[in-house]
Amino acid sequence: MTFAQVLATEFLKLHRSKVTWFSLAALSLGPVGIALMMWIVREPGRAAQLGLLGTKANLSGLTATWPAYFSMLTMVVGMGGMLLLAFVVAYVFGREYTQGTAKNLLALPVGRHWFALAKLMVAASWWAVLVVAVLVEGFVLGAALALPDFSATAAVGAVHDALLAAAIAYLLVPVVAWIAMLGRGYLPPLGFALAMLLLGDVFSHTGWAAWFPWSIVPLLIGAIGKPATTVAASSLIVVALTFLAGIAATIAQLRWADNAQ
Amino acid sequence: MLAVDALDLDVRRGEIYGFLGRNGAGKTTTIRMLLGLIRPTAGDVEVLGRRVRPGTTSSFARVGYLVETATAYPNLTVRENLDIQRRLTRAPRAAVAEVIELMRLGRLADRRARVLSLGNKQRLSLARALLHRPELLILDEPTNALDPAGIVEVRELLRSLAGEQGVTVFVSSHILTEIAHLVHRIGIMHEGRLFEELDRDQLRAKERLYVEVGVTEPARAATLLAAAGFAHVERADDRLRVYDAQGRVPELARVLVGAGLDITELTQAHEDLEKHFLRLTEGAK
Repeated sequence: MTFAQVLATEFLKLHRSKVTWFSLAALSLGPVGIALMMWIVREPGRAAQLGLLGTKANLSGLTATWPAYFSMLTMVVGMGGMLLLAFVVAYVFGREYTQGTAKNLLALPVGRHWFALAKLMVAASWWAVLVVAVLVEGFVLGAALALPDFSATAAVGAVHDALLAAAIAYLLVPVVAWIAMLGRGYLPPLGFALAMLLLGDVFSHTGWAAWFPWSIVPLLIGAIGKPATTVAASSLIVVALTFLAGIAATIAQLRWADNAQ
Repeated sequence: MLAVDALDLDVRRGEIYGFLGRNGAGKTTTIRMLLGLIRPTAGDVEVLGRRVRPGTTSSFARVGYLVETATAYPNLTVRENLDIQRRLTRAPRAAVAEVIELMRLGRLADRRARVLSLGNKQRLSLARALLHRPELLILDEPTNALDPAGIVEVRELLRSLAGEQGVTVFVSSHILTEIAHLVHRIGIMHEGRLFEELDRDQLRAKERLYVEVGVTEPARAATLLAAAGFAHVERADDRLRVYDAQGRVPELARVLVGAGLDITELTQAHEDLEKHFLRLTEGAK
């Protein structure tokens, strides 16, 4: 009952926020961008006439087919989504400090941990909506382009990879939430998320990508090397431990840290 | 930095306790400790008979509070902000409309909090504190940003809540006169310590008598009076305030006139409470 009420308040806060619609608009630009790229590859002459292709354009290796399109769509959900999801979580948690409302939540007949869990659940729900919306948009745009080489197996594989990448990306965000509370605002968690993405790239070159949480999504979707066919059990354990540590740190921060706002 | 040191404070049920101190005296830090927002490095805090620790929930269904600046979710309306508080305190649905009426927020109920004036944001924060009809109100400078009519209104509201509904009110302020006539007891905080605790009668007794003297050459007059045994003489603009001079007014006049000075005014007055507070806290430095 208590959790249901907290959850309702968190949904109301997110529903009335511009960030909700901004995040949808931002992620939905991804499929538009790759669809445009597919069209340019297929019709470079018309694209050049329209000024969409510069003299130094290099589209070699790209083909305007469903498999190539799926690969890029998975990349949009995985890499773009990781950053955007961090942005949403930074907002959901950081806003309470930036707007000075955190103190209003901390001396209530409601356990503080419920706020952390409700915020994470709201972020999960919105993330699910974003991912599904972008996948649907991606399929509609791909169909509108009448791309060749469609196969049900490739489509199912792409959806599977995108959903797996989205799920793994989500499991990393409780740490971002903790940083938002530790840093009392939006900027520290955003800086942290960016730094982790960069570190993920560094680890990919050192051969430790499967062990570093923020390298595992790029590894899965092929942003690092070739797309992985499966996620190693050790990587799943790393991600699960990161998730649990993030939740524990978030709840501990909310419960025990002084709030001198 | 030691914000609050060795504070021992008891507030009785049903009373209005004024918690007074200059900016930085430790009032807000104390209030944060009462609410479990920060932990004291030593000692305990009990609210409504239950010990407060970080994350405590047991007492807070019966506590309403406002800490420092008034805040609200800017993209939600006044009604939605209050509805959030209603859900979190498990108050009945009707409580939102009632508190909107009580705090005269009716015409603003469907406006977003971001467009409210500072004074109306303060009203919204007070409404949030009152919504679930708490037994204890902990209010940190509740009249901040309110206009004079709003200040009187809040003062009357607190008086009626304590008098008619038995609500205990713990209210902080840095302006003594603002709360002196509202409270049953007052605690004066200075540099993290409870400096003086007075009930209403003691507070009135503290209003010291003085003689205000308008005189030519006030600097010379002050020296003459000090030499004549008037121990406490203060300059106030072009006048003098002579404390503890009741019964010695004729002597005072003789000293000044005898020295060839002209007296333009001679009146007896009470020191206002603010002066008492300033004298106390300045003397404590």
